Amino acid sequence: MTSFQWIAFAVLAIPFVITLVLTMRRTIARRVGLAWGLLWIAAAVLIARPELTAVIARALGIGRGTDLVLYVAILGMIFGFFTVYVRMRRIESDLTKIVRELAIRAADDPNDRQASGAPRPE
Amino acid sequence: MSDAWIVVPAYNEAAVLGTVVKGLVERGYRVVVVDDGSSDATSAVAREGGAHVLRHALNRGQGAALQTGIAYALTRGAPQIVTFDSDGQHAVEDVGVLLAPVLAGRADVVLGSRFLGEGASIPPVRKIVLSVAVIFTRVASGARVTDTHNGLRAFTRKAASRLDLRMDRMAHASEILDQIVRHRLSFEEVPVHVKYTEYSRRKGQSSLAALRILADYVLGRWMR
Repeated sequence: MTSFQWIAFAVLAIPFVITLVLTMRRTIARRVGLAWGLLWIAAAVLIARPELTAVIARALGIGRGTDLVLYVAILGMIFGFFTVYVRMRRIESDLTKIVRELAIRAADDPNDRQASGAPRPE
Repeated sequence: MSDAWIVVPAYNEAAVLGTVVKGLVERGYRVVVVDDGSSDATSAVAREGGAHVLRHALNRGQGAALQTGIAYALTRGAPQIVTFDSDGQHAVEDVGVLLAPVLAGRADVVLGSRFLGEGASIPPVRKIVLSVAVIFTRVASGARVTDTHNGLRAFTRKAASRLDLRMDRMAHASEILDQIVRHRLSFEEVPVHVKYTEYSRRKGQSSLAALRILADYVLGRWMR
């Protein structure tokens, strides 16, 4: 074991423990917890046995193991950005609905203004 | 005199909105100004002009403001709804022209077109951008129109209640055409005047904004 591997294990242990705790507390769904847990374990395995990435890469027709890691990382990031973007749009559209509802409830009708004799205060 | 309601979305338009609202109110129209979270006196000016005033607590975009105004006019029993820009680009006289086919029962929707009739003085770059938008819209939604991005439109109550605008920002123009086609609403185009004043050109969309609007539209449609 190289010192890099020990450091990497220590760093990976943190999100792993967090995932475990969140899953046991039911803060995140068990399925989601499992997916994250598997991701951290996979990362640890590949750090412990780096030659495995080369084996998988060759099976997929990619030259080097590091290229495989790079491709997977980029795809993961694109997926991540997309998920965040979709969620952001949904929140924006919900926000519009709230703003619309409030605006309609507080509508200022000119007929009410005449009835009360004076313009309504701001 | 008409029972039609005019929906005017406005964002920081205090400078010209007063003239627009008064012109419409004087002609007997019920006017709804949707102040889209302006930081100037837009609401106060609209109130002074005698409009119904709805205020978005946050700026949500022109499409969102239109939908708010239309929803409100419908709850108030509007028999016809006209959308009208707040920046003084449209002529008040055109509202009657727009309403005529709707009142005569010839169309569910009437769209204003600045390209029909005698060609108004449209800035050349704007003309090119708008022509591309027209071609794009014909391909995307199949609506055969000559002007896709004109803020002057008239709807029957039925047509207005079918609208469900979800493109909050500027892509609503294409979205309206999509929904007209999808709901099989009959539509007609009439020539209207668009005044390109120094103010409206400064306040309005730059021609480059077309690209952002396109991206917004494509992504929004795809994620529906």
